[in-house]
Amino acid sequence: MASSDALEALLRPPAMDMPPYPPKAITLASGETMVVRQVARDEIPTLLKAISPLLQVERDFYDIVSARLYGELLAYKRYRVRDEYCLAGLIDGELAGIVNGRLVDAKVGMSYHTLTLRRGLRVGSHLFAAKMEYHIDILGQEEVLIVAESPIGFRRWMIEYPLDKKHEIQHELGGVPSWVLTVETYQKAKPRLCAGSRPVPAELLEAARIIRAPEEQKLTERVTGQDEAADHNNQGGAG
Amino acid sequence: MPDQDVTGYKCRSCSTVAYPQHALCPTCGHDGFDPVSITGEGSVLTYTDLYALTLAYTQRYLRLAIVQLDSGLRATGHLLDPDPQLGKRIRTQIGVVREVDGRKIYGLQFVPV
Amino acid sequence: MRPVAILGVGMTKFGRSDLTLAGLMSEASVAALRDAKLGNRSVDAVVVANMGAARVNRQTAIASALVDRLNLFPAAAETVENGPASGASAVKVGVQAIAAGMADVVLVTGVERMRAVNNLEATDFVASLSHPEAEYVYGVTLPSLAGMFARLYMSRYGLTRRHLALVSIKNHNNAMRNPYAHIHQAITMEGILDAPEARVNNPPIAEPLHLYDCCPVSDGAASLVLASLDVAQQLNRPAVTIAGIGQATDTHAVQERSDPTELSAVRLAADQAFERAGLGPKEIDVAELHDAFTILEIAESEAAGFFPRGEGHLALEQGVTSLGGTLPINPSGGLKGRGHPVGATGVAQMVELTWQLRGEAGTRQVPDARNGFACNFGGFGNNVVATVLRSERRENA
Repeated sequence: MASSDALEALLRPPAMDMPPYPPKAITLASGETMVVRQVARDEIPTLLKAISPLLQVERDFYDIVSARLYGELLAYKRYRVRDEYCLAGLIDGELAGIVNGRLVDAKVGMSYHTLTLRRGLRVGSHLFAAKMEYHIDILGQEEVLIVAESPIGFRRWMIEYPLDKKHEIQHELGGVPSWVLTVETYQKAKPRLCAGSRPVPAELLEAARIIRAPEEQKLTERVTGQDEAADHNNQGGAG
Repeated sequence: MPDQDVTGYKCRSCSTVAYPQHALCPTCGHDGFDPVSITGEGSVLTYTDLYALTLAYTQRYLRLAIVQLDSGLRATGHLLDPDPQLGKRIRTQIGVVREVDGRKIYGLQFVPV
Repeated sequence: MRPVAILGVGMTKFGRSDLTLAGLMSEASVAALRDAKLGNRSVDAVVVANMGAARVNRQTAIASALVDRLNLFPAAAETVENGPASGASAVKVGVQAIAAGMADVVLVTGVERMRAVNNLEATDFVASLSHPEAEYVYGVTLPSLAGMFARLYMSRYGLTRRHLALVSIKNHNNAMRNPYAHIHQAITMEGILDAPEARVNNPPIAEPLHLYDCCPVSDGAASLVLASLDVAQQLNRPAVTIAGIGQATDTHAVQERSDPTELSAVRLAADQAFERAGLGPKEIDVAELHDAFTILEIAESEAAGFFPRGEGHLALEQGVTSLGGTLPINPSGGLKGRGHPVGATGVAQMVELTWQLRGEAGTRQVPDARNGFACNFGGFGNNVVATVLRSERRENA
């Protein structure tokens, strides 16, 4: 709850008016449906608990992505990051993936992370596209600054969309030279890369109302052992 | 204009051209050849848009084709046609098909007639 | 020529391994040796199948390394490289040694530790089997050769992406019943083809082939212990024999094939294997075909003689090749579901067939399987090894 303490108000960044992300439903290769919806501050503790085991997983950059995302989500909860959002993908209410980012100003977005918990089903691709949809279609922004922590993330976003170089700007994630997704590129890529249907049927929304963390043992096994068909690593890291 | 060429091998004994190179003529077994350029017109036998590219490429996809040249030979190369179709008439040209350590590699490209 | 029996089989789970190359080879080999129950008999020779160790793992002469790991000195040993057909080629080398009387017991192990490098590097490594001047230099990869083949095949014989998807769904479902399989994920036609989301779920790789038409990149190892049939009988073991093994080659550059839709090396290798085994396609109860790409399962099923040319997709549609059909193909999940550690695949196909012919295939069991067929497809079809396995169980066993 917002504090009336003047000092707390001083420590918080100013907040823009952000229209909420309208939830959508996505059919995955398995035939399961993933609901993509925005995460509220009071749901953050569940997400933090869910990703904690991944802080120790070196494979595929899970440790660095989880660690950075953990900080970002905590900062979101505690009102210490300006205009941050978080979207989650849920399959039968169970957390399948998390994406986040923030608004630098009305026109420019700063994409943070994409973390996949349920691998092998392109969850990361769907969620990354959903957050680009949020920045550009819903929030009306003109461009989103993006970097990748993993080489496969590079191929998935920089090459796939494709992104333009904007290397004169240091990205907030470690000062790495930024890449950018422009409105034009997004609109051209959208038919190819962004999917899902709205509105989400009531019973699906209800099933997605309470976020459930995956069971820890199963999560770690899946993340380290289960791989996607063919090639692309689903966990793209920053972006 | 690049002076690189794609070479076929014309048998000195029976004049059949083989491409790619074989040590012995596939038709008569002779082992002497004269190089000949692979050029000309033909038609698209089959093609694909390849997305999972090797490290040498940074573009999103590569359009590859096997063509049937009027000379009777077949060749693989890059199809530079925004509207590819099986059987469509093409002609060959030489262009950059790959870069290795900054060095340009020339090879066959196919363009619509 | 002495008949050759399979005394023992073993494999690692395919997928992503933290084991080293030697660790993988050893795990599968020890499992097969234990299964063989050799007692005091020694292993006379070790044959290892592998494609990429020199490049991807920076190791060579790995058969000698395996002898050392297993303390099998002074056994004879060599590594066999025949691209994706390395596995069956290594089995063939072992069979030849026993048939010629130069060995009584041979351990054959196929292995690949591909995930030591990233996927771009792995793709490039596999692409090295293509023709260096006529194909590789253009950026050709194995999927691109399969994509071009698929487009031509589909236009000539009328099969559609839906047929390819049926292969993928079938093999994914079969793999769910295989504890050793890389992929344990059921998929649906809606998810990979029909829903609008399918364009993201199942993106193009080498059109018309999409993600779910291509096998994964896997680590793994599989082993057979081969012995002369009389050794098997002395040990009083119900035997599965290698009834016939055949091999054929074709042009290196795909463009030089006389008919680019014909897998003539598959046809010739299969014909040779059947002739040597003294039986034909109609007597095969279960087959493991090389579905590195879904189109290849269909095309190989025709070229090997199971269905008329251009009609394999009809049999697939009718459920003939599903578990429960009259000729189940890839009950293991195939390369698509079980995974494809390149050097191990040919051996793993025969591990599965042996389990099938022994009645040990669990929920994947093809009832009363007596004769099995494997096709190991090297290069892009320019080097194929085909094998017929037969159960020697007595009628009332």
